Amino acid sequence: MKSLKYIFRNATRNKLRSVLTVLSVAISLAMMTVLYGFATLNDQLIPELAKANRLIVMSRDGFASMIPISVLDHVRGLEGVEAAVPLAWYIGQYKDEKMPTFASLATDAKELFHVWTEFRMPAEQLTAWRENRTGCIVDRRNADRRGWKIGDRIPLKGNNYPIDLDLTICGIYDGPEFINDLYFHWTYLDERLRAINDLKAGTTSILFVRADSAESMNRVLPAIDDRYESSDHPTTSQSHQDFARNFSKFVGNLQVYVRNIGAAVVFALVLVAGNAMAMSMRERTTEIALLKAIGFQRGPVLAMVLGESMLISLVGGTLGVATGRVTWSTVHYFWPQFVPVDWVAPQILLLGVGVAAGIGLVSGIGPAVRAAGLSVIAGLRRVA
Amino acid sequence: MVPVRYNLRNLRVRWVTTLMTSLFTGLLVCASVLVFGLVDGLMRTFTVSADEQKLIFLRKGSDNETSSDIMRETADKLTNLDGIAIDPATGRPMASAETVTIQTKPRRGDTLSVNLIIRGLSESGRSLRPAFRIVQGRELRSGTNEAITSPSIAARFQNCGLGETLDINGTPFQIVGLFEASGSTAESEVWVDSNQLALARRSRAESCSVVIAQAANRAARDAIVERIKSDDDEFKDLEVKDEKQYFESQIAVIATIRKIGYGLAVFLSIGAMFGAANTMYSAVASRSREIGTMRALGFSRRSILASFLFESVVLCLIGGVLGCMATLPLNGLSSGTQNPMMFSEVTFAFHFGPRVLLQGVMLATIMGLVGGLAPAVRAVRLTIIQALRER
Repeated sequence: MKSLKYIFRNATRNKLRSVLTVLSVAISLAMMTVLYGFATLNDQLIPELAKANRLIVMSRDGFASMIPISVLDHVRGLEGVEAAVPLAWYIGQYKDEKMPTFASLATDAKELFHVWTEFRMPAEQLTAWRENRTGCIVDRRNADRRGWKIGDRIPLKGNNYPIDLDLTICGIYDGPEFINDLYFHWTYLDERLRAINDLKAGTTSILFVRADSAESMNRVLPAIDDRYESSDHPTTSQSHQDFARNFSKFVGNLQVYVRNIGAAVVFALVLVAGNAMAMSMRERTTEIALLKAIGFQRGPVLAMVLGESMLISLVGGTLGVATGRVTWSTVHYFWPQFVPVDWVAPQILLLGVGVAAGIGLVSGIGPAVRAAGLSVIAGLRRVA
Repeated sequence: MVPVRYNLRNLRVRWVTTLMTSLFTGLLVCASVLVFGLVDGLMRTFTVSADEQKLIFLRKGSDNETSSDIMRETADKLTNLDGIAIDPATGRPMASAETVTIQTKPRRGDTLSVNLIIRGLSESGRSLRPAFRIVQGRELRSGTNEAITSPSIAARFQNCGLGETLDINGTPFQIVGLFEASGSTAESEVWVDSNQLALARRSRAESCSVVIAQAANRAARDAIVERIKSDDDEFKDLEVKDEKQYFESQIAVIATIRKIGYGLAVFLSIGAMFGAANTMYSAVASRSREIGTMRALGFSRRSILASFLFESVVLCLIGGVLGCMATLPLNGLSSGTQNPMMFSEVTFAFHFGPRVLLQGVMLATIMGLVGGLAPAVRAVRLTIIQALRER
């Protein structure tokens, strides 16, 4: 206990220096938390997605291409398929927003909740939605942020489709944290497309399917693709988690860059903290010699110096990770198009604190070893 | 003024601290410059060709080529519009009806596939690209299942190398040549004959994706744009953008990446400032007596302040220059990422031009100035007696 107090006293002796080091570590780690959370967002979701036995059917030409809606009936008829819905990437812009800030998807109201079994919504709202041709449902967090209520009108400007929509909120659902989609009727989208003779009438971007078990998944996936192999519109089917994994590729080498920048930042922080520690130790040479003169062994001296550098880095790291987490929520609140969900994987937060501990350890080693190896005579002689 | 040599000697005497401080400012400057160079390189890909007289006709409401559809007969009318420049070499209008499709193809050394743009176009499309030339192999022969692509796509994607065979909708296409086009977005694509692509795709033979045309002059450009806008008969479903406008809509997302990059640089610099401040505080603390002596000798407070600020800036600049130099080997290194608008591969080259390097050096200077300010102020606020009394 005494040595803990000694470490704390030492760390707070040159307050300015410690505060500067703590801030340096904190601000850099706060930034890395946000950046790393962003770059790995998709990867973090993969284990979550793998639990639900869901799969995605899309055109072999990629998910920007369309598949005929007739595929849906075939898939629904397969053994092992619990439910299936079309999802058409309407993805319109809300009001005068410059780019879409949430996904608006055309789907089938009857089965959506059987595929997304995590979604919760009062039964009367579901009925209301099914009965309203231009109705839609929105995610609760999205609705709360924008102040939407049931009955509000949602004007959307078409991006992928040559039509604009004016939808009415019929229900507000609670879903997983990483979802903030708006869902409306595929039948309504199709009706509008037919009216202007658009080539996308009668098609959907993907099918979203839930199988009854992991074994069924393995049976259903090839069954769908084999069926359309030699047709005009061959399909590619993959599990939801594989789809997400592929989707991560769409941020390209971003992860590699973030990781490299992260490594540079961590190394720089080791230097910052190490430099500060070395300066403190130089100033305390006489003191350390005195400690050794009154009988402190190398081990305790080493531990005390390491403890001090760890303490400073950990305070900085914890502060940084906490700041990063708050920044994430703030960015999510003001610019949801950058940060679609208010969720950072706990592993990333732990990683940040772990890295801070590592920085403390590595940056303290040099000064600690020098202090432990200091000869009493030399130390006492040096009257700085 | 305090002689510059005083500061330089001090930096040399405390060389371990100097080295550590410059190294970390250098690392952080290096990281920032890397991001700037990436964004700059990505931007150049989209802006290398931004010709206001080059027009892109899309279906109304679609904001990129892959989601657009134009009926073949409409496309034929468009390529023969009045006001389109005539290619002096062939005597034909410089207009090209092109089919763009996305195929998911695996990158080299990877099992998962990403989107790759396949473009079907005719000969006239070549003259519409900046400095198009075949650098290896040969041009494809029209009417055959041959394809050409850029060296960077050839290097990044499986089955896209010279002589390899790429499967497009079940039809094999042989890569017979590699082309360059000034590093523009064309270098992120695989090109095939438009009719062969239509055959491979079977269902969409009656339409193409986009028409690209070079207007003869500014007046002709405006006339064509006006014509498409006001026409409510044959071109009512169309939208026309010039190349600059078209790329601007694509760049919106890159501009976002740029903002994130700048934000990152600001954060890193603040972190580095604290570190530099620490070093300078310690420098000031250990030199109180020197400062007192200088004051006693008659150096003004202002010149001592300037002296310490100078020392701090030099400290950070050493790092800044090292950091910038560390990025130079990567200049021109080609890399790839996803075009967020089209969700397809776009290759680009890192670009560390004078502007990016200057930004790096500026960053280091600001770190030094801001980081050194508080310690320098502390140095001059000591009274002579206090300063001389300290040990």
